Parts: sequence; C-alpha cells; structure tokens
Amino acid sequence: MSDAALFGWSSTAEYCTYLDENDKKVGAFLSRTGADEFQSALERSRSEASDRSPLRGMPFAVKDNIAVKGLPLSCGSKMLETLSSPYSATAVEKLQQAGAVVVGKTNLDEFGMGSSCDNSALGTTHNPWDVARVAGGSSGGSAAAVAAGMVPFALGSDTGGSIRQPAAFCGTYGLKPSYGVVSRFGLVAYASSLETIGIISLDAQLLRTVFDIMRGQDPKDQSSRPFSPQASEKRQGEKPRIGVITDIEGLAPAMESAYRERLDLIRKKGYEIVEIELPMLEYVVPAYYTIASAEASANLARYAGIRYGHRTDWADEHSELTEKSRDEGFGDEVKLRILLGTYVLRSGFKDQYYLRAQKIRTLLRNEILSAFQKVDQILSPVFPTAAFPHGDAGLDQFQQKLADKFTATANLAAIPALAFPAGQSEGLPFGLQLLGPEFSEHKLIDTASEFTELWEPKTAPGFREWR
Amino acid sequence: METRELYETASLARLSLGEDEAAVLAEEVGRLLEYVSRMQEVDIEGLEPTTHALSEEPILRNDEVHGENLSDSLLDNAPELEDRFIVIPNVL
Repeated sequence: MSDAALFGWSSTAEYCTYLDENDKKVGAFLSRTGADEFQSALERSRSEASDRSPLRGMPFAVKDNIAVKGLPLSCGSKMLETLSSPYSATAVEKLQQAGAVVVGKTNLDEFGMGSSCDNSALGTTHNPWDVARVAGGSSGGSAAAVAAGMVPFALGSDTGGSIRQPAAFCGTYGLKPSYGVVSRFGLVAYASSLETIGIISLDAQLLRTVFDIMRGQDPKDQSSRPFSPQASEKRQGEKPRIGVITDIEGLAPAMESAYRERLDLIRKKGYEIVEIELPMLEYVVPAYYTIASAEASANLARYAGIRYGHRTDWADEHSELTEKSRDEGFGDEVKLRILLGTYVLRSGFKDQYYLRAQKIRTLLRNEILSAFQKVDQILSPVFPTAAFPHGDAGLDQFQQKLADKFTATANLAAIPALAFPAGQSEGLPFGLQLLGPEFSEHKLIDTASEFTELWEPKTAPGFREWR
Repeated sequence: METRELYETASLARLSLGEDEAAVLAEEVGRLLEYVSRMQEVDIEGLEPTTHALSEEPILRNDEVHGENLSDSLLDNAPELEDRFIVIPNVL
C-alpha cells in the first residue's frame, strides 16, 4: 500500500490520473512533479518522516513564487520561465521534513501582482465552481488546486490579500500569518515589508497543523520572528468579542446581504458583536499601492538580463541588454507597478508619496491596536464581489485594486488574517475574514471553525472531496 | 502623466518602452498617481513612518557559511557562460 492510499486513494497512479484529468479543466498547475519523482519522494517520506507526523506522505502544491529545489520558479513571468530553483524555501523544507510531498507549482498573477491569475504570462486558471470565472489571485492556482480536491493544502503568498481573496473565490480557508512568523527565505521578493507565506486548505485543523510546522525564526531571514502567542492566548474558553467595521461601502448587493445574514447568525449564536470605526480604511488602498509598488521597483531591479532570467536576443551594449530584456520579460501589470514605484521614490516626490504612505501605515496600525483594546477579533468581508468572469466581463485592473481595502489592511498592520468559507451567494462561494492581534493565528482558526459550523460550507461540485 | 515624464521614469527603471506601450502606461500610471494622491487629505503631523513591520532591532547572526555551495547550480541559470564567467556585450 502506498502512502497516498492513506488519504483515500487506492494508488498513486489513481491519484496522478485524477490530477491530470482535472487540471485540464482547472489549470491550477504551471509545472508538476514527474510521476517517478513523486513516487520516490513518497517512499522517502515513508522511510524518513516520523510515523506520528500528520503530514507523512501528504501531497501539497506550492505557488510558483516559492522555491522548491530542482523545480521551476517562474513567478508566472516570461522573465523567469526557464529558471530552475537551486534551493528550497525554508517553509517548504520544514514541510518536507515532516513528510509532506510537493506535487507541483501553481499558477499566479505575474510576480504576485493581481487578483485573478489572468496576469500570468504562462497559464490560465479557472475557478472550480465555474470555469468561466477566475480563481482569484494572486495565489489562484493554489486555491483552485485545493478547491478541486487535487491537494489537501497548498502554499501561497499574501502581500495585499493574495491568499485570502482566492480562498474566498474558491470557498476555502486561507491564512495570512503575522508578518515574520513564517520565514520568507525562498519566497521571490515583491514587497518585502508586507508579504508573508501562508496556507490554503479546506480543513481548518490541517491548516493549523501546517502553520505550526512551517513557522519559526529562521537565520536565513533576518525579518523572521519567533511565534509568541502569550498575549493573545488570554480569555481562553470564552467566546471572543467580535468587532465589525461599520464602513463596508462598495460591496456588491448580493455580497452585502449575504454578509449581514451571516452576521445575524453569529450574533444569534451568542457572540458579542461590537461596531468599530477604522477611519484609515479609506486610505488603505492608496497607502498599500504606494508602498508595494515602491518596494517592487527596488526588488525587481535584480532582473537585468545578465545573471539569470530572460535575456534579449541582441543588444549592442549592456544597458541596452538590460532595458530590452526587461521590456520583453515583464508583463503590463508588472511594468505599471515598477513605473509607479520608481516615480513615487523619485527625488522631490518621496515625501509626498512614499513617506506619507508609511505615516498613514502608522495611523492605521494605531487604529487597529486600539480596536483590539475593545474587541478580540475583527470580522470583515474579504472582497466586495464573488469570483468574477475572465476578461472584459469581469472587473478591470483598476477596480480590482480598489477592492483590496479589506485584505491589505492586515498586511499594512502586519497582523494575521484568516479567510474562511461563508457559504454560497448566487451559486458561488464567498468568504469572510477574521483579523486578530499579532500571533493570534490559533484563535482565529478556532473562531472560524466555530463559525463555519453554523452554515456548513459545501465544496466545489464535480470534484473529489479531500478528507 | 505626460509621456516625457513617463520616459524619464522608465529610464530610471531601466525599461525601454515602445511608443504605443508608453502612451497606455502614461495614462495608467497617471490614473493611479491621481488616486494615491488622496493621501494628501490625511493629517500626518508628528507621526513616525512605519518603514518595516514590527522590526524593533536588526537581528544579526554570526558571519559563518551555512548550507551547501550553490554556485554551480546558480551559474546553470545564466543565459550565457564562458567557463565560469557570465558573458555580456562588450562594455568598451
């Protein structure tokens, strides 16, 4: 009996066939571990991982901006289409040591920039609930792979909502941990002060297990921090006091009524709901795009067509080589953000944009910290709409950016946030989000698990359920 | 944003842009800049900037080699090699 059988498959061949067949519909993966390679990794896991490890022999998928040794690391970009990663991310290594096995790398918006996966230069990902619609982004491939029962969990990265928004679109859980709690070593840099590696799963308890294995301070990431949940572990056993944001303007009407309905259910169940005001919420998106683009313009300067990545066919001298390689290698959205980021850092403009955004970040953080004096957790929508259709029928890039306000708040404030399935609205899944003080990940998972019992979310129809 | 200003920014970002591309991007960057400019409404008097989330002090480690030597597999990803040197066009 192979290890895959432990998770309900009769053989690894049966499992691999399921992946092949269903990924034709969904397009979650950009690359897959070969069948032989997968088999030997499973056997290695069986002999090396502890019998008691809950992840022994468990397959998982990894967003293609997180390094796995020997596999591609394309970031969904033509720039890195041929890159093979020489090393693995610390988070991946820890999971492998616990016996989990990588089955492949998942699609994303190029370098994590987008909310649909339609900004990927290398593949199209469809929502398992309705293949005419996007899976969300930027970790859309990971969310789609989980929702389609192809893997029990997948890794994503979250800079402004890139785990939670696709989780909401696909009806899964999506955890963005506190900043620094999971090592970023091996995560391709986009906006260093905001981004984290996190997890997508349909199973809240598995999410907790994976988080507990992945986290920890890492000497290879000097911004990583030890997990110190003492402060947030108070009030054990009591129902958490839930703050709700009064300003939820801009939600699609169906989402707003679904949100209010869920809120009523939660209130009826005996949770104390306290309305809170976050005046800075209105400035989250401007501050977020200023900071993220500025950091992106610096981080993406490394793609010069010289040491690795795309190089243009012909250039007379090295600066032309760099300029042409970057023009050919980057897609439209990446260029837009590099240009915006370069502009806001230009001399004469820096105080007006970048420094101001960082001070607004301070204000937002102060508001959030004072909210957590009154409430234990904050409940909010994830995104103003359900999964939108591909192409022109959906939201344009600018509208997608405006819709980041609920998610990007947690990145600016460096606090953990958990998206969880809240049921369906008009046949599509929608999500809610819990925000908590730093290191409150476990408590967020507890609360979300209690909430989801109130409406028992379904899984995407037509796919095998991974249990 | 004027196209001239966009080209200046693109040159700082080491991006060569075609004319059509530049016209579209000038409009889009301009639209985003106008949008983020609403930050001017906020009173930020006396506030310290949050430059890096929650970093109280730099975390240092000893200057020691960790892990394996990756130089060969890193070089394998270079677009053009001569022995162990990465080739670029003549600088002269």
